[in-house]
Amino acid sequence: MKRVQFEHSAVPYLFIAPQILIICIFFLWPAAQALYQSFLLEDAFGMSSQFVWFRNFEDVLSSSSWTRSAIFTVVFSVMVSVLSIAISLFLAVRADEVIRGAKSYKTLLMWGYAIAPPVAGLLGIMMFNPLMGDLYKAFNSFGFEFNHIENANDAAFIVILIAVWKQVSVNFIFFLSGLQGIPKSVQEAATLDCKSPERRFWTITFPLLAPTTFFLLVINLTYAFFETFGIIDVSTKGAPGGSTATLVYKVYVDGFLGADMGGSAAQSVLLMIMVSVLTVFQFRFIERKVHY
Amino acid sequence: MATVTLNQAQKTYPNGFKAIHGIDLKIEHGEFTVLVGPSGCGKSTLLRMIAGLEGISDGEISIDDKVVNTVAPADRDIAMVFQNYALYPHMNNYDNMAYGLKNRGYSKAEIDTKVREAARILQLEDHLERKPRQLSGGQRQRVAMGRAIVRQPKVFLFDEPLSNLDAKLRVDMRLEIKNLQQRLGITSVYVTHDQVEAMTLADRLIVMNGGVAEQIGSPIDVYEKPASQFVAGFIGSPAMNFLKGKVSDDKKHVTVGDGVELELDHDVEGGREVTVGIRPEHLQMHNDGNGRIDAGVRMVESLGAETLAYLDFGANADNVTLRLQGTHQFAQGEKLNLSVPADKIHLFDIETGKRI
Repeated sequence: MKRVQFEHSAVPYLFIAPQILIICIFFLWPAAQALYQSFLLEDAFGMSSQFVWFRNFEDVLSSSSWTRSAIFTVVFSVMVSVLSIAISLFLAVRADEVIRGAKSYKTLLMWGYAIAPPVAGLLGIMMFNPLMGDLYKAFNSFGFEFNHIENANDAAFIVILIAVWKQVSVNFIFFLSGLQGIPKSVQEAATLDCKSPERRFWTITFPLLAPTTFFLLVINLTYAFFETFGIIDVSTKGAPGGSTATLVYKVYVDGFLGADMGGSAAQSVLLMIMVSVLTVFQFRFIERKVHY
Repeated sequence: MATVTLNQAQKTYPNGFKAIHGIDLKIEHGEFTVLVGPSGCGKSTLLRMIAGLEGISDGEISIDDKVVNTVAPADRDIAMVFQNYALYPHMNNYDNMAYGLKNRGYSKAEIDTKVREAARILQLEDHLERKPRQLSGGQRQRVAMGRAIVRQPKVFLFDEPLSNLDAKLRVDMRLEIKNLQQRLGITSVYVTHDQVEAMTLADRLIVMNGGVAEQIGSPIDVYEKPASQFVAGFIGSPAMNFLKGKVSDDKKHVTVGDGVELELDHDVEGGREVTVGIRPEHLQMHNDGNGRIDAGVRMVESLGAETLAYLDFGANADNVTLRLQGTHQFAQGEKLNLSVPADKIHLFDIETGKRI
């Protein structure tokens, strides 16, 4: 095929220059820095450093704390994504059916979106404060021996609860607009063809929401991976014993608190690789199957 | 086969707007009924009330003598064809047609027989594996029809099914629908704003206006004896001409325009002010000067098979349409000599618009 060459002018480059600049300064440069640092072994004060090739990576991959954090991250991300998608889908379907006061319901359900993750984390942890937390008291008065300060599962429960609560409003907005995008006549045709509302939902509404759901799955996994940092830092700080530290949080703990710059950089490089693989996988293999 | 009975069926929206003001109607077995009217007249609302997609505020709707006011749409044994097809975009055409049967618990073999039979009738056999978006508008509408006929429902409901199709396809599909309905003999209710569809498809025509059935009758009855000025103006294209007139003292003539006297075929109270309706095709042109009316030509439109001339009738009647067969050449301002047979003159009350 013959390619047509047009006269080039500098103007288009000027238009994309700010974006390119931002990517270079805030992404490529730090990424390169991290990659370089991951090959170094530094002392705690940064006074001397030594090039050690892949030793940092070997250390990270063989450490049990990293493996545990990786497992927690996967469990945490899947739980947060699945739960927040399921809950917001349920809420969106219900809110879409409401006729009286529909606007108020919808606005109230969207409000959570305006809350910053650290604030959500703070609210959450205050509710589970052993001295004054209402939920802490409520759980224990029901006979659960709830103690997130010592019990890793209880701590994970709190982090997941906060992260899901924070994300439900975002998903709700997308599901609601997705539902409103389904032609009314298609839904009406379905009411003539199928009596059971549940069956109608699973055979018509849900498949038609598949593109929205897939998009939200990507968004939510990314959210659970990266944006929950604020929630974790304010609520559990990875406690007890690093059991609620996601990989991102562990990078911060090891690098900035533990002063192991090389190990922390190696972890972030591993994270970069995981995210790239995940992205390629999502868009290559899944996206094709969810469109109609 | 089924009957549909409406007994003072009414629809009032929560905001107080009354869309349907009590309609009484009985649709017989296998009858093709067309609801026609301008937008906002309530024809679609009425259809949706029969379908169960809109609630019934007052009165009763029955299918086969069973009141269905509170019966779920899926249990009314009806099938509906929508204006924008309303096919399920994520299912292929086979599944689109099979969906309603699957939900009613038919066996796989039964479903397959019924879907393939419908596809054969509608010439869709080669398209069953495709998704709706891969089909043209006409084919999609056929799939929508297929979805309706596979169930062999008691009643077919059509909500302006041809409005989204282009002119030629609309004529083809119109004939196809008529043909299919006659072959299957299923009671049908069809909503349209297109009077050609209304006239050609209907066994019985219901002309609606402002939530009221203005006239119910056979298409020819409605055309020949419109019950009101609204019906007269709505049915027939180009629309009927309306002139202000006054009945003469001998009760046998009506005066229009600049003192033109037209003969009537029945007696009307002398001196009464009326609206006179004359269809464009009922004005007859005379070359021998025997007509009672003289009118100047303002504009001419030639359509090939027929010619429309817009005439000046004098006072209060400056745009009267004349429809003539074949092609005619007129100069602007040319005087034509015309007449109207007495039985083609329609009189309407000035206040109520009712036929006199």
